[in-house]
Amino acid sequence: MTAAAGLVSYNTVVVALGVAAVGFAAGVVGSLCVLRKRALAGDAAAHATLVGVACAFLATGRRDLVTLLSGALVAACVGLGMLVLLRRFTRTRDDAATALVIGVSFGLGITLVSGLPAWGYANSAGLEQFLLGHTAALTARDAWLLAVVATVAAAVVAAILKEATLVAFDSAFAAATGWPVSGIDYAIVGLVALMVVAGLPAVGAVLVTALVVIPPVAARFWTDRVGTMVVLSGLIGLVAALAGVAVSATRPGLATGPLVVIAAAVVFAISFFCAPHRGWIARRAEASQGMASQWSDGDGEVGP
Amino acid sequence: MTSWLQLGDPGVGLGGIHAWAMATAAVIAASCGLVGTLLVVRRMSLVGDAISHAVLPGIAVAVLAGGRPGGPLVFLGAVAAAMLTVWLTQGLRAAGGLAEDAGAGVVFTTLFAIGVVLVGLAPPGTHLDAACVLYGELAFLPFDTISIAGHAVPRAFVAGATVLAGLVAAVVATWKLQVFTAFDPAGARAAGLPVVGVTAGLLAATAVATVASFDAVGAVLVVAMLVAPAAAAELLTRRLHRMAAVAMALGAVAACVGYLAAWRLHTSAAGMIAVVLGLEYAAAAVLAPDDGLAARLISRVRLAWRVAREDRLATVWRAEESGNHSAARPHTPHEAMVVRWLEFTGHLLRDGSSWRLSPAGRREAENVVRSHRLWEAWLGRHADLPLDHLHPPAEWVEHHLGAEMRERLEADMDERAADPHGREIPPEA
Amino acid sequence: MTPPTRPLVELHDVTVAYGRRPVVWNVDLVIDEPCLFGIIGPNGAGKSTLLKAALGLVPLVGGEVRFFGEPLGRVRSRVGYVPQRETVDWDFPVNVMDVVLMGTYSRLGWFRRPGDRERRLARECLDRVGLADVAGRQIGRLSGGQQQRVFLARALAQQADIYFLDEPMAGVDVRSQERIFHVLDDLKAAGSLVVVVHHDLRTAAEWFDRVALVDRRVVAAGRTSETLTPENLQRTYAGHVDVLDDLAQAIAARGRTP
Repeated sequence: MTAAAGLVSYNTVVVALGVAAVGFAAGVVGSLCVLRKRALAGDAAAHATLVGVACAFLATGRRDLVTLLSGALVAACVGLGMLVLLRRFTRTRDDAATALVIGVSFGLGITLVSGLPAWGYANSAGLEQFLLGHTAALTARDAWLLAVVATVAAAVVAAILKEATLVAFDSAFAAATGWPVSGIDYAIVGLVALMVVAGLPAVGAVLVTALVVIPPVAARFWTDRVGTMVVLSGLIGLVAALAGVAVSATRPGLATGPLVVIAAAVVFAISFFCAPHRGWIARRAEASQGMASQWSDGDGEVGP
Repeated sequence: MTSWLQLGDPGVGLGGIHAWAMATAAVIAASCGLVGTLLVVRRMSLVGDAISHAVLPGIAVAVLAGGRPGGPLVFLGAVAAAMLTVWLTQGLRAAGGLAEDAGAGVVFTTLFAIGVVLVGLAPPGTHLDAACVLYGELAFLPFDTISIAGHAVPRAFVAGATVLAGLVAAVVATWKLQVFTAFDPAGARAAGLPVVGVTAGLLAATAVATVASFDAVGAVLVVAMLVAPAAAAELLTRRLHRMAAVAMALGAVAACVGYLAAWRLHTSAAGMIAVVLGLEYAAAAVLAPDDGLAARLISRVRLAWRVAREDRLATVWRAEESGNHSAARPHTPHEAMVVRWLEFTGHLLRDGSSWRLSPAGRREAENVVRSHRLWEAWLGRHADLPLDHLHPPAEWVEHHLGAEMRERLEADMDERAADPHGREIPPEA
Repeated sequence: MTPPTRPLVELHDVTVAYGRRPVVWNVDLVIDEPCLFGIIGPNGAGKSTLLKAALGLVPLVGGEVRFFGEPLGRVRSRVGYVPQRETVDWDFPVNVMDVVLMGTYSRLGWFRRPGDRERRLARECLDRVGLADVAGRQIGRLSGGQQQRVFLARALAQQADIYFLDEPMAGVDVRSQERIFHVLDDLKAAGSLVVVVHHDLRTAAEWFDRVALVDRRVVAAGRTSETLTPENLQRTYAGHVDVLDDLAQAIAARGRTP
């Protein structure tokens, strides 16, 4: 994928912006998912996307991003739907069900993608880039599409933040006061599926879950307010995505996904150690000063 | 990618190659099934998922340091990486207050990402590239042989079989400990058993099984081999030792079937093995004797039918009791069908335009009415319910009371043989 | 406001099951006037389950629940709820004010954010439970008693006519208990019905006007003095549930008891 020299800068800039928008939106959406304690729901969706990519290609014979990602989105939703069915109709535990969907759907995806050349789809090469992510293959149009999807997702989160926070914090109270808890849950998980799919081209199916897990978890160290956490998580996602794209541009052939994840992990490590109050260093300092000052105001608890 | 298409390359004894590949996949899958059983019952499936990703950097570092895939150094690196994963996840929970799944999500994606980058650094010819990481190269494994007693045996098979033997021996040796820890970790800890050691051993075993599978099926699909057969086996049996055996068998069968299917369809063996494992699970979910969807559907239909029969018999009995025989007549097509069936089985006898009970039908009907009235009496005594609210619960419960329970309920009453409405409770038939 | 002919809360033949296994059987309760109503019983008696069933949080296998003579869906805004404290993650990134404001959400409806009016109300509610000075604090940095009072303030912000409280005194220090009971008493005086799941018999006799003794079924219900008799307590705390347990097992398996 070498572009004409004159186009490189424009294309690279647009792609970087598109991927940054996806990073931001993934961080924003991921916050809700992590707060709802569904950190790994995105992973099941992510591993299922490969099936959708392959099926979309098989069905249409086209390799443009819209077609493939539409397929991926359908597959992600089917994967999550399988999780719901397993929970509803079998006694397999949630964690095993998640791992099952991850492993089996990924296996099916690999089977399809590996089989395509032998089944007469010679120009299928390139589908593998969805495994580990390759932004080099993205066009400016693709990047615009991703940016639009990301903006929509972030806007939806902004609109339902109040409701989603309520459900994530206290679903029993939300249900008792008449909010459609499962509807809001489906909305959250659906947004995660959308962002996982939008993250595929840049980060790849295997690692894209990191894009919705690491930024929120890192952001949580810096703040005690949901709103701040959501924005901060978005910014961390944005920075990680940009860093990953920038580094991968320096060495052709280097997959973007792992670099994005490592960048996010670096931010996480900094947050974990250095954040005020919740960071490891601050906690150690606080612990050494004694717990007494933390439970202040004299309204202490007497055991039950 | 194209490597799979060269599978049919003649010149090497093809049958032997396939047999070896299947045997290798089978021993690996059996190891994973055994370890996976313990992971699944201990609710550690996602730990298995995390470890299977996180061994990659361990393997990569070991290879970069000069180890060869499948060699002891690589095993060591992988176990170290697995331990690091778990240690980091637990550290994040203890020191950072992270939920376990979120912590695992951070750790294994990061380690896997590092692993992929390291693999990119590996010199060519080290049998380690991105494709191998993701879906293994089962078809090539039989070509890398070592000589045992003059026979050329694939190195991967030897490694896999050794791992399987070691894991089986370890699990058998610690079986009681495993069962106790799996079902009651708190109790096991209280009893002074080395729960932490057992858990660490399980994690190490997971790492070893993962590494043994790595060359064959790659990192991600190991998850399917760990969890799918165990989850399927759990639906089929409730005893741990049977579950382990079934999981191992399901894994081995899926390995062979998946390999053959992949060969026929010219696609990835590892992917196909995972698909077959998924199909096995689906079959178990539908066909499992107790909890399968089919069994539950059948039991639901049978209960509905039994309720319909018993209700009809009781209706006729009550009609005879009150002397109002026309009350025994069916009103809906469904009731008419039930009546025809009861007539056919000899429980009801046609009597002009109405029906009466045969001796067999009377026995059954009396027990239903007896259950109903005993339950009304019990509720009347032990629950704060108005008299007119006793009938609906008894309508429901009457179909679930057995003879022994009826006796208990009767013994609980004063000697009155009447229900709260003053009607006689028939004796046990 | 409420015509006297319509009971505030009616439960008729309510049976609740988890999966197919019944845990609360055939409950029939009518509360027809504002009071402090205690649901008392041993651990695992199904008290909380009964409360959740009344609020539509767990499905009924049989029976019906009415508030003011109507199904819950029509009058939800008049019913306040304080869940058990352990059911939420207190490390959640919200502060005390945020939690109390959640009580105003159902009146706000979709997409509208709380404004000055809601904040004023929330502040008043915090004041009533004595927590006005910690409004900005992250909820994890409160004691158990304070956390429970935050939940109570949130229910107050719902401005309901009926309040359901699930074990509000569990793990709460004596001072907070007193404070909570006084707030509940005020609610009653203002004409609200307060239904409390409670486990401590001593404070029950002291505070509640009426009680229901529950162990998988309602053993007895009525005025506290008439209901908390040694005989009723004996029946509640020692007995007869083995029959219900065996039966629940058989029903869950779609079969018969022995």
